[in-house]
Amino acid sequence: MTLFTLGQADREARLLPELVELTEHHRAASPEYARLLAALGHPPGRRYARVADLPWLPVRLFKHHVLKSIPDDEVFTVLTSSGTTGEVSRIYLDKAAASVQQRMLSATMQTVIGGRRLPMLLVDTRALFTKRRSFSARGAGVLGMMNFGRDHTFVLDEQDRPDPEAVRSFLARHGDQPFLIFGFTFMTWLYLYELAREHRLDLSNGILIHSGGWKKLADRAVDNDEFRRRFAQETGLRHIHNFYGMVEQIGLTFLEGPDGGGLYCPDFSDVIVRDPATWREVPVGTPGVVQVISTLPRSYPGHLLLTEDRGVVHGVDDGAWPGKRFSILGRLPRAEARGCSDTFAAAA
Amino acid sequence: MSTVVERFPAGGPVTVEDLLAALRSAPTDGPLTVGDERVVEFLVAFARRLLRPAVARRHPELASLGFFLRRGELARVRDRVAETPGELRFPRGLVFHVPPANVDTIFVYSWALAALAGNSNVVRISSRSAGAADAVLDALNETLADAHPALRETQRMVTYGRDDAVTAALSVAADLRVIWGGDGSVTDLRRHPLAPHARDVTFPDRSSFTVIGVAGWLAASEAERDAAALGLYNDAYWFDQAACSSPRAVYWIGPAADAATAQADLRARLRAVLDGKRPEVDAAMAVQKRVATYGLAVEGTATGIRFDGNDLATVELTGPGDIPRRWLGVGTFPQARVDALADLAPVVVRRDQTVTHFGLDAAELTAFARTVAGRGIDRLVPIGTALDFAATWDGYDLMREFTRITTVGVR
Repeated sequence: MTLFTLGQADREARLLPELVELTEHHRAASPEYARLLAALGHPPGRRYARVADLPWLPVRLFKHHVLKSIPDDEVFTVLTSSGTTGEVSRIYLDKAAASVQQRMLSATMQTVIGGRRLPMLLVDTRALFTKRRSFSARGAGVLGMMNFGRDHTFVLDEQDRPDPEAVRSFLARHGDQPFLIFGFTFMTWLYLYELAREHRLDLSNGILIHSGGWKKLADRAVDNDEFRRRFAQETGLRHIHNFYGMVEQIGLTFLEGPDGGGLYCPDFSDVIVRDPATWREVPVGTPGVVQVISTLPRSYPGHLLLTEDRGVVHGVDDGAWPGKRFSILGRLPRAEARGCSDTFAAAA
Repeated sequence: MSTVVERFPAGGPVTVEDLLAALRSAPTDGPLTVGDERVVEFLVAFARRLLRPAVARRHPELASLGFFLRRGELARVRDRVAETPGELRFPRGLVFHVPPANVDTIFVYSWALAALAGNSNVVRISSRSAGAADAVLDALNETLADAHPALRETQRMVTYGRDDAVTAALSVAADLRVIWGGDGSVTDLRRHPLAPHARDVTFPDRSSFTVIGVAGWLAASEAERDAAALGLYNDAYWFDQAACSSPRAVYWIGPAADAATAQADLRARLRAVLDGKRPEVDAAMAVQKRVATYGLAVEGTATGIRFDGNDLATVELTGPGDIPRRWLGVGTFPQARVDALADLAPVVVRRDQTVTHFGLDAAELTAFARTVAGRGIDRLVPIGTALDFAATWDGYDLMREFTRITTVGVR
């Protein structure tokens, strides 16, 4: 079973009525969202011909405002994002949403790692969990992924130094059958790739899942193609899947196809790349700002979100999996919130 | 030993003790006086450099500064503290200025007036200063070459890092401390004591708005309305609508039906100005504006949001009391309507600084100011002049603040 089956026309036809229904659901359940729709000129019952016409929310709204479509006493858990500026998104889930979140994340990952828990190599340090001060988005991300594996082995020791013995011993036990590797993109390159090359380690049975973007590798001139080519050439690792997701989009993971030709959307989701000058959808091949679309969020109005990421759609129904094939190009710079005469002393 | 870097006169690192010792020795040809000719000559020569086309083209805000420092203007400012029989005016002594980092020319106004008043000055320049601020420092240093040595001996602009010892030493040495900054910065600086006789002049966070008389708008000529739209553009789009006196809301005074007509008219004219000026609104700023305006609707303070392109957003406020004083992003105009100007009086708070106006007469504005009675609002000025600095700022007559009086009585 796979979640990557719908061609673009079928996807649109299926998503549109569900998204319209979700919009009405959130309008009825969230007075804040209802006020916003009214202010933007989206009255109840308005007809929409295309998903792109539906009203979207800037994702940062969840950092400044409580937006939820469930009563307080049904809040089961609140997810928070990491924020470099101290701002965090707060995403409210009831029991049903929490269960959808887990189920869909698992289903998506199973597309590439199968239904069994595999031995797992983590390109990170156990110190993530022992030093409380450093428990961050990285820690939360690693922890979330650990569910998909067993026999967890960390590539870095407590002092953040590569630990070749740990990796060698892991490979001796598990290297002859499929095993899972997880890490942030830059860590995977800086530590696992270098280590495997230096010690001539065989990763050919590995399945690498990685995320986090290329910014930290830009000065090394490593992009996705180079990353895949060098891993294959030097370590034998060929099963590589980049992914893209955010806390504001529960259960949704955009996953790179087996051939590395871009990220794909699970069947309950889509992306639209918009021109930041006009906010209209741009043609295939033109970079813009990424809007993410998902039918999963029922407990908070996050079904149509404008991210602060730049991206580009490479093609539609022309890749390893059906639907749009896209890449993330990086983050938008942040417009500084300003007071009128701010911060001389504070910023000195 | 704590050191600072001298930017004007351009120099290198110097200890704060040496800096203060130099300022304490008597300048060539005697101490500066109020309105000292040596200072006037320097400021006039400096202004001429700012008004050079090459400078003014790159930094239009420096041209405004240049106009402010013309000889005639300086004479007018000096006359504000002219001596009267039995009342002599003297400089306060040493003034320590701590200007804001983000409006990079305001330190010059504050310093120039204090210098004109005959004070020795130490101005802290942000280490992040760039663009216009650097152009100012270059012009000041170039002007110094032909200036009277007393200028070099009494005036200092310095940069230093996060060093409380420097701030403490300069504070305790000062006869007057001038603090511009966010509320937090002002409070933070006040931890450093002044000498018992000294005092602070503070310019904390402020916000500003525009009022437009609906009848006055509709009665105005095409040219007057176009000029008002251009004025609103200058007030709002310079400094990304983030200066203290940048208008952050527009109030319409008059009946609802006519107000709608006037609002649509202004929006169309402002749109035309923007089509000519093409201010840069990048993707990050465009997102910021969406986040800010959508947030107003989520909070319930806005009932309508309209974008005419990324550079022009108008927001209908639920009521006049809901004025958003925080920065929303450049080219964002929340607006509301009231029947009469007096209806706005309860909305005004201490933080409110500048009211720019159009279509209202002096009697109406004066009556409004009397109703507010100083609880807030320091200046009511015509639309288009929000950013024009004046020698009376935030309610202070600066030349009076920068001088002291000795009375001479005889029987």
